[in-house]
Amino acid sequence: MTPLLSARALSKQYGGRNGCRNVSFDLYPGEVLCIVGESGSGKTTLLNTLALKTAADGGSLHYTATHGEKLDLLALSEPRRRLLMRTEWGFVQQNPRDGLRSGVSAGANIGEPLMAVGARHYGDIRQAATQWMERVELDASRIDEFPAAFSGGMQQRLQIARNLVTAPRLVFMDEPTAGLDVSVQARLLDLLRTLTSTLHLSVLIVTHDIGVARLLAHRLMVMQGGEVVEAGLTDQVLDDPQHPYTQTLVSSVLPV
Amino acid sequence: MRSIETGAHSQPFIDNRALMLRAVDLGKTFTLHGQGGVRIEALTGVSLDVERGECVVLVGPSGAGKSTLLRCLYGNYLASRGSIAIRDAANDGQPVSLTGAEPHDVLRLRRAVVGYVSQFLRVIPRVPTLTLVAEPLLSRGVAQDEARARAAALLARLNVPERLWTLAPATFSGGEQQRVNIARGLIAEHPLLLLDEPTASLDAENRDVVADLIVEARERGAAIVGIFHDEDTRHKVATRRLELRPPLRQ
Repeated sequence: MTPLLSARALSKQYGGRNGCRNVSFDLYPGEVLCIVGESGSGKTTLLNTLALKTAADGGSLHYTATHGEKLDLLALSEPRRRLLMRTEWGFVQQNPRDGLRSGVSAGANIGEPLMAVGARHYGDIRQAATQWMERVELDASRIDEFPAAFSGGMQQRLQIARNLVTAPRLVFMDEPTAGLDVSVQARLLDLLRTLTSTLHLSVLIVTHDIGVARLLAHRLMVMQGGEVVEAGLTDQVLDDPQHPYTQTLVSSVLPV
Repeated sequence: MRSIETGAHSQPFIDNRALMLRAVDLGKTFTLHGQGGVRIEALTGVSLDVERGECVVLVGPSGAGKSTLLRCLYGNYLASRGSIAIRDAANDGQPVSLTGAEPHDVLRLRRAVVGYVSQFLRVIPRVPTLTLVAEPLLSRGVAQDEARARAAALLARLNVPERLWTLAPATFSGGEQQRVNIARGLIAEHPLLLLDEPTASLDAENRDVVADLIVEARERGAAIVGIFHDEDTRHKVATRRLELRPPLRQ
């Protein structure tokens, strides 16, 4: 199997410090890879660099597009990058308000990405939006309400629908469950787990929550001080951590 | 497809078509960095071959490394020394070297070849029992209806009351959770099964049901390595015993 995304020695520094350094990994189709670490460890910088939101300083990054075409992401033209983001990628922000448009209805928030890839039939778009609202367990009769009328957990689900409606192959998520209360978190996690496996999505998730990582991820990368200090199968890294930092991280989780 | 490193391991698997697992001179040392780098020897010098239709029961006192060995064989613990080779379902049954395999390959092996049942169920919030049990079949591409029917049959056989099937097992009793876990572990009929005290908190009647299921798996040709705390179950399922001794500790 060919990897979907391949990073080699990828680096992004801010004035020669912080950021992330020397990150290499392969992400295969259908795999969920979690990036864990404390705040300031460079995990969000890494995610943004991988999603081409910030430019990398060094290393290489390759992506295998739908028809098997291998793209050098660091040398991609701007129009091509935008096309990729519209058609094959999704990005779920930590704060749903950053990922939603507040000035249009819930239905329009889901419908817009479809229009951006060429859907023109209003009835079809509305029907797709209705279906996606149901799929993320939102009341479809509220399709014409604005995002501000929904609770935080609902807004997060709306943002997920907006990102998945175009059937992307790769989805980036930045702390998708942070800031939600635990009962809402559990529901969102279950939803994400079901969607990623039924849609055969490849996902890169940044989280500081070990529980989230254990539930969702096939693989983990543990970051400290901008570097990946340990990587492997989720249960192996969490049950038999090798690096001192990972051992501290795992043993700091409060038992319930 | 990437070539998988097989090296010195492949010959025994070619010579013996029944060989499923070969572990050579395995060792496991834990280093606790948070506690001054204390090193704990959990396992030393264990070698083991398991063939189809065999059930090897691990015996030895507490601390002998029985669970550690099983976890190493599943890839849950990284072996510190030695090698583990497992016959793949794909690639014409060529063995995969678990020690040093890519996470990607270990995941594939777990889906198709190696099943692991522990005494604890890791509950997933909100997922109903029947779905939880059917999941390993669905991930192997079995149709929804068939997967659910087989899950229902297995739960019934394990005496899990039907009224519980639509509920998430978080609120079940210890014994009920364990039986759900066993159903989930056995349903996909993996050709290699690792069982870590699957009968620990079961009553005598349910223990017999589980023992019967294990014997059926063995007779179907599964290779099994297990830990069982009661002599009764051991006697029923075992074809062979492997004695482990606690490593000498400094």
